Amino acid sequence: MNSNDADRERRSRFDRAVGVYHPDMYRYAVWLCRDPGIAEEVVQEALLRAWKSLDALRDDEAAKSWLLTIVRRENARYFERKRLETVDIDNLSPAQSAMLAVKDDPTLEDLRRAIFQLEDDYREPLVLQVLMGHSTREIAELMGMQQGAILTRLHRARIKLKEVVQKEAAA
Amino acid sequence: MNMNCEQYKEAIAADPSASFGDGATHVAGCNSCAIFRVELQALDGRIARALAIVVPELKIPELPPVGDGNIVSMPVGRKTRRLAPWLAIAASFALAAIIGVQSVGNAPDSEYSLADDILDHIGHEPAALKVTNVPVSDEEFSRVVNPSVGSMDRNVGLISYARTCVIHGKTVPHLVIQGREGPVTLLLLPDEMVERAQTIDRNRVNGVILPVGHGSIALIGERKENIGEIERKVVDSVEWSI
Repeated sequence: MNSNDADRERRSRFDRAVGVYHPDMYRYAVWLCRDPGIAEEVVQEALLRAWKSLDALRDDEAAKSWLLTIVRRENARYFERKRLETVDIDNLSPAQSAMLAVKDDPTLEDLRRAIFQLEDDYREPLVLQVLMGHSTREIAELMGMQQGAILTRLHRARIKLKEVVQKEAAA
Repeated sequence: MNMNCEQYKEAIAADPSASFGDGATHVAGCNSCAIFRVELQALDGRIARALAIVVPELKIPELPPVGDGNIVSMPVGRKTRRLAPWLAIAASFALAAIIGVQSVGNAPDSEYSLADDILDHIGHEPAALKVTNVPVSDEEFSRVVNPSVGSMDRNVGLISYARTCVIHGKTVPHLVIQGREGPVTLLLLPDEMVERAQTIDRNRVNGVILPVGHGSIALIGERKENIGEIERKVVDSVEWSI
């Protein structure tokens, strides 16, 4: 295989992985950083890093976890670089407000806002489990934590959200 | 072991889709837990819909040619400028002074290379270049060489300095290893791809920028320092995070 063929094969492999998981990367980034604009930047950086490191992806079946891990690290790097403050829920940007709006089902808006307000440590495993379909073992590996700690966080996150939903129903 | 209600509710709240042996037995005979489970499964359906935000049209960034991204090269035909006179200085700051004087001599060109940036940085951080036998603490080392960068075996030599610095616009670990001839600067550059090894050879300074995986490392020491000896140990010990 000459170098052009090798380059084309590499690009094709990258496109296959990213084509499928690009939306997941974006959604994960949004829920990590809670800002659609920053999420787009993080995902762009993550894609560049994934491209440069593609040879480190041994098994294409593991592409989703691999890409999400890169997004997670890129998000951490972004915030380290910018030294950003945490999101102020009372002063949301228009993009953040738009992100919280649920046009087709306004009853979900309070729940989305409650997820937005969850502590990072609770929100992230919930996103990985419910949205990304990761097992608790996979979440523990990705977050570098014990599985027991992940189970506790998932339990607490759901109890908090359940309380919100109950209050909403009572109102 | 049979689960009680508290244990069941904790477990099901951690994963409402899970079906576990003891839990199934418990919930079959416990109306309260059965209701709790149904409520949580319904909640999870709503959580999934709430999390599924609308994704805008996403674009793939322009991808650099493989092995060509951020290629480091010494600009061809760049002007050489006369160095400022060498001044005698205290031995412990000798290397910093050498680099510092050279940096003054090499004012930025339009093509300001990674090597220039590295030498400038070292020149501006002379406190790093002390001759000492006191190693940096494990805590400090771990803070600087952290999982977002990668990992490195610290037993490559006596590491006397570790700090996070900005080189070429990127935040990277700046370490100093005590070599045979004096302090040797080691910069871990996970985001700087170099096509091949670049030697840095300036008056009394000797060094190299080496490709390592998808990044590179820079090692700079005094002219007599055996950089190759340190290089082999470091290259084998560094692993980048993705």
